[in-house]
Amino acid sequence: MLEIQELTKKYGKYLAVDHVSFSVPTGQVGILLGPNGAGKSTIIKSIAGLLRYQGGVGIAHMPARTLEAKRVFAYVPEVPAMFDALTVREHIEYIRRAYNSDITDEEIEQILTRFELDDKQTKLGRELSKGMMQKVSICCALAIKPKVILLDEPMVGLDPAAIKELKEVVLELKEQGVTVLISTHMLEMVKELWDLIFIMEKGKIVGNFNKEEQKDADIEELFFQITEGGEAK
Amino acid sequence: MKGLIYLYQRTIVNRIKRALLRPTAYIMGIFLILYVGMIFFSFQMMIAEGNFGTPDKVVTILSGIILMLIPGNIISYSKRKGLIFRPSEVHFVFSAPVSPKMVLMFAGAKSFAINFLLGILVAVLGMLWFHIGILQAVVYFLFFAVCESVLEASLIIFCYGNERFTEKFFKRLVIAMYLFMAVIVGTGAYLLLTREPSFELIQDYFALPVMQLVPIIGWTIAVIRLIFLGPDTINLIGTALYLVCVVVFFMAARRMKCTGAYYEDAMKFADDYQKIKQNQKKGIANVPWKNKQKLRQATVEYKGAYAKAIYFRQMLEYKKNATFIFGWNTLLCLGLGVGIAVVGYFNDAVGEFGPAKIFIIPAVVAYVTFIFSGYATKWSKELENPYTYLIPDTPLKKVWYATKIEHYRSIVDGILVTIPGAIVFGLNPVLTILTVLMYVCLQANRLYYNMLADALVGNLFGNTGRSLVKLLFQGFAMGIAITVAVMAGVFLGVETGFFMMILVTGVLTFAGAVIASISFTRMEVIE
Repeated sequence: MLEIQELTKKYGKYLAVDHVSFSVPTGQVGILLGPNGAGKSTIIKSIAGLLRYQGGVGIAHMPARTLEAKRVFAYVPEVPAMFDALTVREHIEYIRRAYNSDITDEEIEQILTRFELDDKQTKLGRELSKGMMQKVSICCALAIKPKVILLDEPMVGLDPAAIKELKEVVLELKEQGVTVLISTHMLEMVKELWDLIFIMEKGKIVGNFNKEEQKDADIEELFFQITEGGEAK
Repeated sequence: MKGLIYLYQRTIVNRIKRALLRPTAYIMGIFLILYVGMIFFSFQMMIAEGNFGTPDKVVTILSGIILMLIPGNIISYSKRKGLIFRPSEVHFVFSAPVSPKMVLMFAGAKSFAINFLLGILVAVLGMLWFHIGILQAVVYFLFFAVCESVLEASLIIFCYGNERFTEKFFKRLVIAMYLFMAVIVGTGAYLLLTREPSFELIQDYFALPVMQLVPIIGWTIAVIRLIFLGPDTINLIGTALYLVCVVVFFMAARRMKCTGAYYEDAMKFADDYQKIKQNQKKGIANVPWKNKQKLRQATVEYKGAYAKAIYFRQMLEYKKNATFIFGWNTLLCLGLGVGIAVVGYFNDAVGEFGPAKIFIIPAVVAYVTFIFSGYATKWSKELENPYTYLIPDTPLKKVWYATKIEHYRSIVDGILVTIPGAIVFGLNPVLTILTVLMYVCLQANRLYYNMLADALVGNLFGNTGRSLVKLLFQGFAMGIAITVAVMAGVFLGVETGFFMMILVTGVLTFAGAVIASISFTRMEVIE
């Protein structure tokens, strides 16, 4: 479960996020949509504990800033940044130790193989392309075996095979009861993944939809219905 | 915690492994050993000759360092810029289940390691140079490695991890520290100007009881004085206060609530630091106020097509700058020109050098050009722009128009460097113009030879190797120009020698520019 309550964030006098509240129940996939500058990344960074904010964030019923909450929380940032001097495998090993994750060597091999990184395990962080960094970032997040996972524009820089794999992984996580929140512009990419949609504009949630209630609705139609002058539900 | 230990361990091991694979690391190692050896023996000689080898002298030196270092640290920590975080740490460490205080301690590990090494260095050098006893050296090391590290760690937590005191409080703390440093430097300067300047004067100044009772900074000096000079009332009081302060700060830091609110500032600093590092790699100077400069409205009329467009676009960008094509380098050139004139005037350079006085300015300029690698300006950014390569024109024209403004800038800088000296040395107008021309040639030579080294060597030998190749090219060209100048000077007269030097430098520079134009043929030439 991921809960956001009255989250407000100001950069100086600029109000980037204005009293935003929403929640993603356990085992569901929430999609945070919105045009550039809507405040999506600010919300994501606030949830990840990287920004100061007013309001509350709960991860698996625990305050987000507690170590207990961080243990079950994974974050894939929009722009991955690798440790220059660590190999791909050492990145995963660091995560295993930092989170005291019970992931086995076989499971690590499996994840790396799924994202075609098994033959690049000895490559250093500084030698990776942007797409490969994104894959390592996703593998590291999965190595935590999280209960809540946050993906900020995860498809950017990925090749078609990796996008397909990531979609499958998200659906598998959902089946395992993991709460997923994806922030993206790429409506096409999340069509078959979503349970909940939160549409942001100018720092506010201007619309939210539940897949159960919108059975045949197209995500693009829902998005443009709101952002091009429609009414929020 | 386990993760952070693993992270540091692997980073160090991998860095060492990679360094050992690079031949330049060994060359650098040899240079470093030679350099350290040279510094060590020259200082040893200076200390012995100046009768400097006594414990009271090391106390004065350390006091001076403490007076600047501790306020400097407090300032940087209060601004939340003292610890270096990298984007990779923001990504993988800040969101990990690690106490934010522990993250601070790991980021501060470098500082503590440096404290440890400095403690050893001062203890050893103290024994070798300043004749302090072994016991004093050991006590000093323990004090520095343990107490100072505990105090610094507590200060880091207090400044970074504090979520109770407002931003205003830390701004005031920074101002107070700047004021303190200004008072210390100002009083010192006043004493040196109004009394007979001597090391003893500084020694007495730092030994003032009031200095030893300044919270934290003065108390640290008191401890140093107690260790090296023995007890007196003031240093005993100062030491007691220091120890109490360390304990209180440690307890406060332990108890302080820290949820990681500093991550936001650290994340911003990590991004800024990354940019600074990238700029440094490209040779772009980081002038803090430059990023905040507002751009003006400006227009430019494009008189010509193809490669000429590069020149006019650059001109438009410069016209939007508040200072046009001028900057801090212009001021440095003026300073250099005035410096040459003042030093020349007070040392009777005209009498000393005779007719060879005309070589003074070019010699100083050549030295400065050779030693400093220069600064990257708009021209180097052209190489990052795909359109530079796509414009349908010859590479040589592209080189010329991309660097044309640099030559205008060189003319202005050359005038500033030359005129003060030319007046003092009594150079005639023709020689003055030739000196300016010489300056322009030297700058162009550096520019094109650097471009040439980039194009030919690329990243083959790493940054250090590339810098060495650049120096080699420049040194080679200068060597030829100087040889021709000396020969022409001996056989045909000093003025002819001077003219020949400009001519040869010009020809070699042009040749360099022609070869360097391969940089403008393919983007892949420079990675």
